[in-house]
Amino acid sequence: MTRGLHALAGGLLRGCLAIASAVLLVVHLVLFVPGLGLGLIVLLPWPMAMLRKVTDAVRQACGDIPRPYRDRPGPPEAEPDGRFRYDRVLYRSPFWPRQLAYLNWVLGDPATWRDVGWMLVNPAVGGVLGFGPAALVVGGLAVATGAGPWWIPVGLAMIVLGVLVAPAAVRAHDTWARRLLGPPQETFRSVKVWLGERLVTLTKLLALGGLTLVSVALAGLSVLALALFCVGIVGALPEFASVTRQFTAIRRRFAEQWSGVPIQTPYRPEPPLPQRRPDGLYEVGDHLYKSKGWTRFFQRLDWVWHDPATWRDLLWTVTDPIVGGALVAASAGAVAYGFVELMVPALVRLARLENPPPLAFLADRPVLALLAGLTMVVAGALFAPAALRLHGRWTAVLLAPTAKARLALRVEQLTVSRDDATSAQAAELRRIERDLHDGAQGRLVAVGLALGAVEALIDTDPAAARRLVADARESTVRALAELRDLVRGVRPPVLAERGLVEAIRALALDSPAPVTVSADLAGRAAEPIEAAVYFAVSEALVNTAKHAAASHVSIVFGYVDGVLRAEVADDGRGGADPALGSGLRGMRHRLAAFDGTVRLVSPVGGPTTVTLEVPCALSSPRTSTSSGKGSSNC
Amino acid sequence: MRVVLAEDLYLLREGLKQLLTAHGFEIVAAVDNGPDLLRALLAERPDVAVVDVRLPPTQTDEGLQAALAARREVPGLPVLVLSQHVERLYARELLADGTGGVGYLLKDRVFNADQFVDAVRRVAVGGTAMDPDVIAKLFARVDDNVGRLTPREREVLELMAEGRSNAAIGQRLFLSESAVGKHTANIFGKLGLTASDDDNRRVLAVLAYLDGAR
Repeated sequence: MTRGLHALAGGLLRGCLAIASAVLLVVHLVLFVPGLGLGLIVLLPWPMAMLRKVTDAVRQACGDIPRPYRDRPGPPEAEPDGRFRYDRVLYRSPFWPRQLAYLNWVLGDPATWRDVGWMLVNPAVGGVLGFGPAALVVGGLAVATGAGPWWIPVGLAMIVLGVLVAPAAVRAHDTWARRLLGPPQETFRSVKVWLGERLVTLTKLLALGGLTLVSVALAGLSVLALALFCVGIVGALPEFASVTRQFTAIRRRFAEQWSGVPIQTPYRPEPPLPQRRPDGLYEVGDHLYKSKGWTRFFQRLDWVWHDPATWRDLLWTVTDPIVGGALVAASAGAVAYGFVELMVPALVRLARLENPPPLAFLADRPVLALLAGLTMVVAGALFAPAALRLHGRWTAVLLAPTAKARLALRVEQLTVSRDDATSAQAAELRRIERDLHDGAQGRLVAVGLALGAVEALIDTDPAAARRLVADARESTVRALAELRDLVRGVRPPVLAERGLVEAIRALALDSPAPVTVSADLAGRAAEPIEAAVYFAVSEALVNTAKHAAASHVSIVFGYVDGVLRAEVADDGRGGADPALGSGLRGMRHRLAAFDGTVRLVSPVGGPTTVTLEVPCALSSPRTSTSSGKGSSNC
Repeated sequence: MRVVLAEDLYLLREGLKQLLTAHGFEIVAAVDNGPDLLRALLAERPDVAVVDVRLPPTQTDEGLQAALAARREVPGLPVLVLSQHVERLYARELLADGTGGVGYLLKDRVFNADQFVDAVRRVAVGGTAMDPDVIAKLFARVDDNVGRLTPREREVLELMAEGRSNAAIGQRLFLSESAVGKHTANIFGKLGLTASDDDNRRVLAVLAYLDGAR
């Protein structure tokens, strides 16, 4: 009884606090809204401080709820010149910095907004929970004393109810206050995130389940194609194989993006048309063909037939509906059917159907069905991420290249890049030979001729001899200049003397647009790699100068996870098309010899970024080149 | 004048020795690698050093590094650097300490013995000798900034940047020394540089201007 009375008093106190919050709300509407709306931010600290005072009182009264606020910033400190700083502005008086810091402190604190939320709702909730029991008691008294003898029990019942309900109301009020005025509780948000993730995962699983139907169809088609093949209609096989390959390509992409299992494409590259034999026939396997069309046809057939990946694809289209289907059924299926199980029996019971649809088991025992459905939903949801991962791994089992196929692919890739490299090298040597032949060699011949003439003339016509000597000297100067240019194209001097980064800095100094170079390299790459990256970067710079109309270019070198990376970024007009021009192709070929890659990102309107990456090892820097570097910023 | 010579090609080293001796220089040391060069520079304290950028043992910029190291020990030690190629990067490093007494020329410039010897003497007395190729590269970058100069003023500026005195510029352009003086005053006015009587300060100001204007 005393507890009830005590709780009644507490309820009254909480009701008064609800009135206070209502008053506060009005004050805020008057001060806060114009404060924010009209930019009169000076008005803001007042209502805020008041709000915190009231909520502090509530916290104290309602079971010592801890304060959730951030610590208040200290007073603004003067700079050496006597001014005060806030953010990136200097003020002469500390007034504005203090105001701004205060505002930032208050408005940036989520607890403030939870306070505001409390203030908006508490007049109703706090009022009902606080005054409710007391109102019951007072109402009961009024009924018992005023409405006649028949009403006395009703009045008494109301009083007893009020007293009994009072402690629960107080507890409910305090829990509600703690939810908003105490430190935030994480559970709610993490539950939301968890549910969202499950939902996305389940959707993906459902999509994969839908795709297994395509697998079934493809398996049927493939079997049909094989049957046709057996009766002699061989043409269908490569076509069906290529359709299957398009489908498996999609599945590989899903495995990588959804399940986090990257899967390489396992197919052998399509062979080129064979050379015509001396007798004019084409040779495919053990057979000879006359026409190009038939040759190509049988070659394709041979290519598809002898690629183990074709048969692994087929096996996969047959088995995917079973294994993949089982995984989807065990996760998304379980959740979906769990919902049916959960609701159908209960709905059937409620609607009093005579002949319930046979959708759920335990249809006659709704409670058990409810429990079973719930278990299925939860278990399915819990299993979903693992199911998605397993699905990816299962896809990789048959759709990834075998070790042998991987090696074959690698050999193919290396053959191509080696061919590129050797032909690039041959072209380079041709260029050097031509330059030497047309340039320095020719000039030296001229010098020799001139000196011969001088020998003949020196006694008879000294003036002419002197002219010839001057010409010869001029020729040697020209020859040297040409050799210098040639050397720059073969092995740039600064690259030879100081390595990649300094060479690029030297290049940047001579570039028409301002170029900044920054590097975070712990050592030097092998010389051929440095040269390849140097020429690729210089090509990128040339392109930038030619096309981008950039006002600034930045080059950043980095080395992460065994990969040397150079990024050339400009702020120009973008729209660079990798298909146009040979520059990018040249870069690719140059770097492909080292397994390097080139990536171009150039949306219309800019900016353009070219990223070069070469896997390589770095050696420790040579001490002789690391001393006495000039300014590091160009 | 006492000279330390560093050049790894035997023929060129002997040729330079002959050339310099013929013009009244005394070769106190002729070395063919970086470490020997640094030792000779610090031991002999020559009036001027003629140094090839690329020297053994690493065949990188050993000569330049040795020259820079020696100049850190002995500020203002006159060094004329020769190279098969000229780089702004290296020119900037040589000029960075602002004390003068530096030269940076293509090896081809030794063909014209008089001009080469003139450059060596200029560097020896604390002046500057920059290769026209370096200057051309500097000018290529700052075309807009020097666009306000008349063609004649530009010619004067180029020669001035190479490190030549008013008298030498006058000789090259067939002008009187006072006319050159007038041009240089105009140039300094237009570029907003403080005029100075000291040839070397003047050159360094121009080079700093050209190198910095971007």
